[in-house]
Formats: sequence, C-alpha cells, structure tokens
Amino acid sequence: MSRVVTARGDGLTRRSFLKVTALAGGAVSFGLASPEVLGNPGRVGANQRLVIAHIGVGGMGMTHLANMMRFQQEGKVRVAAVCDVDDNRLEAAVENAGAGVTPYRDYRYVLERKDIDAVVIATPDHWHAVQTVHACQTGKHVYVEKPASVTVREGQAMVAAARANKVAVQVGAQARTAKGAWHTCRAIRNGIVGKVRRVSCWHYANPVDEKPVPDSPPPEGLDWDLWLGPLPWRPHNLRYQPAHFRWLMESGGGQIRDRGAHQFSTILWCMNADHQTSFTVEAKGRPPARGLWDCPVEMEVIYQFKDPDWTLEWGQPGNKVGQTEFGNVFWGDNGHLVLEWEGGYRPANPEAIHFKLPPGGQEVYRTDEYEDFNMNHKADWFKAIREGHLRPAVDIEIGHRTATLCNLGNLAYLLGRKLVWDGTRQEVVGDEQANRLLSRPQRYPYVL
Amino acid sequence: MCSDLIAAIRSSDDAVSAAAWQSAGNHGSAAVGPLAELLSDPQAEIVRRGKRALYRIVRHAGRPGARGEAQAVERELLAALKHAGAGGRRELLWLLSEIGGPSAVGPIAALLADEAVREDARCALTRIPGRKATAALKAALKRSPADFRPALAESLRQRGVNVKGYPSRKLAPVAQTSVGPLPPR
Repeated sequence: MSRVVTARGDGLTRRSFLKVTALAGGAVSFGLASPEVLGNPGRVGANQRLVIAHIGVGGMGMTHLANMMRFQQEGKVRVAAVCDVDDNRLEAAVENAGAGVTPYRDYRYVLERKDIDAVVIATPDHWHAVQTVHACQTGKHVYVEKPASVTVREGQAMVAAARANKVAVQVGAQARTAKGAWHTCRAIRNGIVGKVRRVSCWHYANPVDEKPVPDSPPPEGLDWDLWLGPLPWRPHNLRYQPAHFRWLMESGGGQIRDRGAHQFSTILWCMNADHQTSFTVEAKGRPPARGLWDCPVEMEVIYQFKDPDWTLEWGQPGNKVGQTEFGNVFWGDNGHLVLEWEGGYRPANPEAIHFKLPPGGQEVYRTDEYEDFNMNHKADWFKAIREGHLRPAVDIEIGHRTATLCNLGNLAYLLGRKLVWDGTRQEVVGDEQANRLLSRPQRYPYVL
Repeated sequence: MCSDLIAAIRSSDDAVSAAAWQSAGNHGSAAVGPLAELLSDPQAEIVRRGKRALYRIVRHAGRPGARGEAQAVERELLAALKHAGAGGRRELLWLLSEIGGPSAVGPIAALLADEAVREDARCALTRIPGRKATAALKAALKRSPADFRPALAESLRQRGVNVKGYPSRKLAPVAQTSVGPLPPR
C-alpha cells in the first residue's frame, strides 16, 4: 500500500492530520464543536461563506477577482471589497465585482472591517509583507501573491504574524496544488530518474529599460505615496509602474523572484527539501547598461545544499532543455526529467504523467477540487481555513523559505560574493553587511 | 585614476560607461568624493551611474575582513554628505546604512532635523547596529517635531526599546478613493 505524504512531507493526509491533532488535543484545538468551526465573529464556520476583500486589482489581482466571483457564484464566498491605489484599476474592479462591493484606495479601511474574513493581496512585491502582517494582526486570513517577501526579515515577520494570530496564509505559488507539478513531484520522489543531485532552471533574460524617461507627475488617479508605501520616497517615473516594478531590485527583484518563486517552490516540493533551510549561494550576472531598471539582464545563481547533497541552479538564460520560455530539469543518476514552466500553466512531461508508483512508493497529497489550478490553489486555502489546521499547501513558512532562496540569490549578486546561509539562525555566516541587508528599514507608517 | 573613471562613466557610449561603473569597486574610498558629485548631475543617467558605482564600492568594501577599507569609504561618504543636495544626501544615507559604524551615527543623526531627508536618516540609523545609534534615536525622539516622533518611536521599538506613548499609525487609514460602488440593481 502506498504511503501518503502531505505538502509538509509528514506522511499523513490532511484529514488524518486533523484527526490526530484533534485527538492529541495539543496546541491547535478544533473539532466539530469548537467555536471556530461553528463560527464566531472573526472566525469562519465550516459551512459559512467567507467574506473576501481584494487588495491590489491589477494584472494578477484581476485573475484572483475573477476566480473569487466564480466561488461567489458557487455560494462559497462573498466578495465585499476591492482596493487599489490606482483609481483606474479600482474602477475596473468594481465593474467586474458588481453591486454590493465597496471600493477603497487605502487597504487599512479593509482591515478595519470586522465583517471581512480574508484578503487576497496582489500588490507589488514590496507591499506583500506589510499588508500580510497587518491583515494577520487584524485577524484576516491571507492569500498573498508570490514572492512572499522582498527581504528575509519580512518573511520571518509574516510567519510570526500568521502563527500569533492563528490565521491561514497561503502564498500564491500555485504549483503545489497543480496537476503538472504533482505528477512531477510523485515521479521524482519515487525515483523516476534515480537520485537527483542537480536541478537546473532556465529562464529568458530580464528586460532592459532601453528608453529611459525623466521623472514625471503620477498619472491622475494614482496615489504615488501609497504605491511606494514602505520604499524610500522618490519622484514618480513611468518606468516604475504599473507592471515595471518587477525589474527593480527593491520592488520586484527580477525573474528569479517572480518565476523563481514558482519554480523554487515546486523544486523544493519535488526534492522533499522544505527542511533543507541551510545552503550556500553564489551569483553572477550582467547588469543593464542604462535605464532605471537594475535587475541583471542575465544571471546565474548556484545553491548548494548539504545532507542530502544537491545543487540548485538558476540560469538566465541557463541551459534550456525544454521547449517553453522557462522551466527546470531534474538531473538524476538514471536520466533527467523536465518540468516546463512551474507545473501549473503547463502539463507535466508525459513520462511523469504515466509514471506508475512502485510497490511501497510514496503517494503525494494535493488538494484536487478544481481543474483550473488558480481556483484549486484557493480551494486549498479555503480548506485550511474551514478545517481549522491553517496550513495550506504553500503555507507562509514554505513561502518564506522559497522567497529566502530568491532574496539571497539576489543578495549574493548585489554583494558579488558567496554567502553561507544558516537557516536555523536565519543569518549569513560571518558577513555583517549581508546580515544588515536581510532587512530594509521601511518608510513610516508603512512598517511591519 | 579617478578622473579616468569619472570620464568613462560620463561617456555617451553605454559599453564604456557600464564597464566603468561596474569596475568601480576596486577604486575604493578615493573615488567616493568624485562619484558623489555625480549625484547632483542634471542628467538622470549620469546620476544613476554614479549611484551604482558608489554601491559597487560600498559592497566591495563591506566584504568580510575588510573593515579598514569600509571605514575609509565610510569617512568619504560622510564627507560627501556635507556637500550633497537633498537627492544626493538621500542616496548617501542609504549607502552609509550598509557599512556605517559608530562614527557615522552623529552626522546621520544631525540629518534627522533635515525635513527633506529625515526619514532616510531615520532608516539609516535603524539599520546601523549599536548603542550609539539607539542613543541618537532616543535623543531625537525628545527634540524632534511632533509629527516625526511616531516614526522615531517605531525605530526604537524595532531595536527593542520600550517606548511609552506615540501609538503606531501603521493601521490608521488616510487615503480616500474617488471611485464609488456600483448602485444596487
């Protein structure tokens, strides 16, 4: 009989995890008669509709809103509010969400509302941690876009806030609930290519701001101060927003922090390596010669893990093995397996799909309620809330560990030296400057 | 040598200027003053190159085992701080936040009274470890204008100081939208 392994790799189904924990009567207390399950103010009952607000309704934010409207049609949630610092986007979101949905510019109005159970955060990366921590502190469950954070200390604060306030924080790296990554995960964990000692990623280059423009007043309807939030103040420039934030280290961190957050999450899952929090990291890259954007155009980052020993390589362009724009390869003793994209938007390799679990092999758990992986990832979040265990597939702890890989890759590039990361102490060994850069002081009052 | 570096950074040829600022790390403290002058250049691209060159120097000097180099760079950054405009002061403060030690605290703390850059100075002091920075923030809390004190209190709390009063404003909403909800059907 196959053993079932959860996203946490603890050998239990979520359902049996709940039973064991309830029987043990430990720190997490819930059960059929608990107030949380029956539904008290600020807590959601098992059969209660979640009241949702969306913070950030730009590109991905609108996908989340569309998902949530479908959940609303199915009677699972009620969308109560939408929020954006750009009135133009906000107006579009209101049109999509319909009557009965209140628009806000300032997310803190959303957090003041006692009737809202949960928020979906899809703002630029530099806002993720502050808004997540504040939402947790006001008792809201959180679905936050990846990467979880832009610094290690932000990630730590997010984990602490989720635990202290007993809320579920799901990070939007959807592959751990997606079919493509799941096929790959169970195939890799069960030896389809033998022991894997190296995983390499390929990805196309980051863009260059070839035609820089001078600073200019923010467009009408955009609250520039709120857009900057925790970042140091500076004049508006059209190369910051709406979507360009990705190409600045401070706000986006390039593709290693965008797609990398997807790919690294999937790879850690497949490698059963969530516990391998210590590693070394070296990086090199070619910075853009001009323009506002400062993320390296090409980049190579090498992570070395110990016990078990394996290497993770981020490459822009890297060694492209598959057909699509980005992906990764698991190099094993008996061959290699390709995963294109991150296992969500693309299916798994046919070898992985048709892989038969060997006798005594490890089955891998994933929530499987929706074919659409964006919907399924949210269903997994709802499940964690309703079942009361508050640990979705990409719980904030996993999101933080994944973001740590991304952030330390960028830090090694910026500092131009190898970093030795002690995951237990959450610090770089013997490098005071690197340790200072694990956090970035935030502009008041946009602080953790 | 520094004049060659500056001339190359000013080159209209991207290949030349990029190679120059990317190699700035090895120029060390001697290049800090001339590069800091670029921070007030009227051309945004020159300012960016100057800033990126300065970061190369600070991050090279900040490597383990090079405290002497870091201190030399710190001295030059502090000297440049006296002459820079507001934009330049802002950049220099963030550079100092990465390698600044006790000797940087006084000059940075002085800028807590400079309304144009006081928030950047507060952030820099928040990042610099040690009792001297904490003491400077405490002193500033007593003498700063009322509207700046909650931010200083926040810095002190982040450093583990128990501050009475000045409740955090982080959860207080302020910005209103002009967008209204759709009318009920």
